[in-house]
Amino acid sequence: MNRRSFFVMFLCLVIPISLLVGKTIELQFWTHEDPNRTVIENRYIEEFQKMYPDVVIKRVTQSSTKIQELVLTAFAANQGPDIFNMSIEDEYAYIVNQRVASVNYEAAGYENKEALINAYLPGTLDPVVFEGEIYGLPLEITNWCILLNKKVFKDAGLDPEKDYPKTWEEMVEVSEKLTIREGQIITRRGFDFRYPYYLVAFIPMVEQLGGKLISDDGKTAIVNDEAWLKFLDFMAAWGPNGLNLGSPTYKNARSLFNMDNNDIGMCTTGLYQLARIKADNPAFYDSREWMVVPFPQFENAVNYVPAHYYGHYYMVNVQKPKENQEMAWKFIAFMLSHPEEYLDKVAIIQPTNELLESDTFKNYPYSDVFISDLEKSTVVYFSEYSAKIQSLVKEAVESVMLSNASSRDALNALRRKVQEVLDDQY
Amino acid sequence: MDVIIWALLIATALLILSPIVFMFTASLMPARDIVKMPYRWIPEELYLDNYAQAIRGNDGSYIYPRNILNSFIVAGLVSVTTVLLSALTGYGLAKFPFKGRNLVFLLIMATMMIPFEAIMIPLYLVATSLNIQNTYIGLILPFLTNAFGIFLMRQYLITFPDEILDAARIDGSGELSIFWRIILPNSAPAVATLAILTFRSQWDNLLWPLLISQSEEMKTIPLYIVKFAMEKHTNEGAMMAAASIASIPILILFITLSKYFVSGASLYSSRKG
Amino acid sequence: MRRILKKGIEHKKARWGWFFVLPSMAFFAVFSFYPIVNALYTSLFRKRLLSLRPPTFIGLENYEYLLKSPDFWNSIKATFIFTLGTFIPILVFSLLLAAFIMSRKRFQKFFQMAFYSPAVLSSVVAAAIWLLILDPRGLANMGANFLLGTKGVDYKWLASANMVRFSTILVYFWKYIGYFTIIYITGLASIPQSLHEAAKIDGANGWKDFWHITIPLLKPTTVLVSIMSMLQCLKTFSTQYLFTQSGAPLEPINVITLNIYNTAIRDHNIGRASAMSIILFIIMLFFTWLQFKASRSGGEVDYM
Repeated sequence: MNRRSFFVMFLCLVIPISLLVGKTIELQFWTHEDPNRTVIENRYIEEFQKMYPDVVIKRVTQSSTKIQELVLTAFAANQGPDIFNMSIEDEYAYIVNQRVASVNYEAAGYENKEALINAYLPGTLDPVVFEGEIYGLPLEITNWCILLNKKVFKDAGLDPEKDYPKTWEEMVEVSEKLTIREGQIITRRGFDFRYPYYLVAFIPMVEQLGGKLISDDGKTAIVNDEAWLKFLDFMAAWGPNGLNLGSPTYKNARSLFNMDNNDIGMCTTGLYQLARIKADNPAFYDSREWMVVPFPQFENAVNYVPAHYYGHYYMVNVQKPKENQEMAWKFIAFMLSHPEEYLDKVAIIQPTNELLESDTFKNYPYSDVFISDLEKSTVVYFSEYSAKIQSLVKEAVESVMLSNASSRDALNALRRKVQEVLDDQY
Repeated sequence: MDVIIWALLIATALLILSPIVFMFTASLMPARDIVKMPYRWIPEELYLDNYAQAIRGNDGSYIYPRNILNSFIVAGLVSVTTVLLSALTGYGLAKFPFKGRNLVFLLIMATMMIPFEAIMIPLYLVATSLNIQNTYIGLILPFLTNAFGIFLMRQYLITFPDEILDAARIDGSGELSIFWRIILPNSAPAVATLAILTFRSQWDNLLWPLLISQSEEMKTIPLYIVKFAMEKHTNEGAMMAAASIASIPILILFITLSKYFVSGASLYSSRKG
Repeated sequence: MRRILKKGIEHKKARWGWFFVLPSMAFFAVFSFYPIVNALYTSLFRKRLLSLRPPTFIGLENYEYLLKSPDFWNSIKATFIFTLGTFIPILVFSLLLAAFIMSRKRFQKFFQMAFYSPAVLSSVVAAAIWLLILDPRGLANMGANFLLGTKGVDYKWLASANMVRFSTILVYFWKYIGYFTIIYITGLASIPQSLHEAAKIDGANGWKDFWHITIPLLKPTTVLVSIMSMLQCLKTFSTQYLFTQSGAPLEPINVITLNIYNTAIRDHNIGRASAMSIILFIIMLFFTWLQFKASRSGGEVDYM
């Protein structure tokens, strides 16, 4: 036969064979480190790959501080992963810049958008809604309360059940009793704040006093100077130049807490920390010498504001081929079909109505404290520039705590810089 | 006067060495003993848990040994390419007069002034367009050679006796064979120094691997340490163990080959031009 | 005939010269020149890292903004405080230490190695160690309290603005003092002994000898150390980055490189970050040129 017909025959054979063989779909799945979650998600990957043999999922963990940079640079080069999650303040920019896909309801196992919305606690999907479409599925919704070590209280002669601080003023008093120092150097702190997370844990304090970070119409920075000054004065008094009860330069409180080393009395943290205590220090966990109390309020608070909640949402890269996206949503839905296991093994809450009504949830220690605060709280401030704004608040608080700046100067600087960001002159 | 100088030198040496000693002793203590005041320099017992945790990793994946291997591979390969390319270029600049030679030299020296942060994003885009992200090639490519190495080799080769080269040419050797068989073998001090200094410098590289390594298996030592330091389960003891592990290979290299490190610094000085 | 032959050889040599030099030139073209030109180009645009929309051309607006921005001037201030605060002590102390070592008959190698050892460690390791030492409960406070006779005083190594600047300088100084001491030792060793002996005969010894003979003859070495350490300081990044990641305040140590990194990676503003990089590049070129000029004006140093 001649060359041409041979070639045609070759094509006819090759093409159908390649269709038969099928393409493997490889999904890159980037997430932050959490040893407990890694164990169960690796198992889900195995199970899913058995169900769909031509899908391969590569799961990569990064430390929670590095993952923003890595996802950012990857997307900047149009090489982002198929599936990823970060805290919503860091994720929102991806929604606004149209880098992620809206939820594929069918693939995710929902009849339509309404069915999806109804499955979740009202409001918990709001952060990923943009122009009417939903862009992520919640891996966890977290809010923070105060976790305290009963032994430290007893050691200082206090009764944790009665003497735990209900207001910030009481927090100062209790901490003074619990703090041990050698000269100026603190060897045991009563409490210390969750420093880098200003939007989640510090802004509520300002809001309790009636202040706001940004006006309701989103145009003006800093509302109610008096509230802000009171807050900055409070932080200055807390720090090394005031009562010396704590500082951002000590190791963060929640990392010390689990070790039960008599160096920290209280810390601000979420439900997930309880699973970590169980893993890190089972003896301490079983002894139940710890308890959870609500987020303190200022004595003359104008509003009751607990710590804001934030969420991690699984999102899908819109620049990947359609098959990848579809499989990605299928896999995400598969993982998220185990909310009770996530709660039990990882202690994170996926706010499905089903989970919140289950016994597993109701029997979880102190879940009632967390839920009671969660119901009263609102989502953390997020926008395309929330990371920048958070670092500006950090600068302001650090300048009054560490650099002896006056609250008035720090506030003026903060106002100026945040306004710049808002005006998008930035 | 004499005694004072001895005292000053010894005191300075002790002060400078103490952080390194601290790192090793702290790695053998449980975390709570490290922050106890005052610091007990000699650990009460040999607490090896820290090393176990550092090697095992907080997720039990034992990835650190792989990262150490990666650092060796990357630093080793970069040393080889840098020596070869720097020798080639230095030779050309030292022994072959051509028009524009000074301009070329100046341009190369100017690259030393380019801050890495300035070019990291464009470099990253170049790397991804070549699809070499998360590969060894990606880790090595931007560092094939550098201005410092070229300068070093040029300085050294300027003083290489021309008579030997001319004699070889008269004997009929080609230029490349002269380079390969006469120049390189007889430049052992400069080559060795450059190789070691380059190795050390790559061992230390943080910013580029941070951008280009995306999976755990391709990370290098500095990335592991940074990741390990940020993880919530890591305590001070484990940190120091990870740091010690990262430092032992390079310290061994240093002690055994110290004359090349030392003369590396000195090869750079004295007569310029 | 001979002239033509000579021309032929010169021509051949020139060709080979280019041949040997070409591979690295090609490398630099792709991995150094192209990126910096790209950065220059990007600096003329308003570009956000994540946005899929094409960037808007704004000419020199990024530069205008930076030159009027208190935050950028703070970075310049932080960079200069760090650079001057580090390279001047290094210049002085490395010379002194080199002189001391050279004046000893024994243990020269031991001292050189001891001083050099910090330079061998990676910056990440150095930062990790120092973060522990500078912790309020760590060795720094212990040592300072002991030396200054105070008890339990927290010197706020990473907490107060001035102290955190001092801490970054301290870490850098620790890391590089040995390296520059060795450079000076080589410089000192290259001064012919005959000169010192001649001076002795003339009645000058010890301090006079050092001041009038050694120091002037060390000029080339001093210039070298000066330029190298200054450039190294202007490029500093990991120490400040790792300190601020661990809770140290940003403003006092927000050196230009760190600002570039944050502007690109945290704020996604790649246009402005590129403009900052170009400004830093120009600063580095300028100060290198300045130092060259200063060294030339003293005239060539001659041993005779």
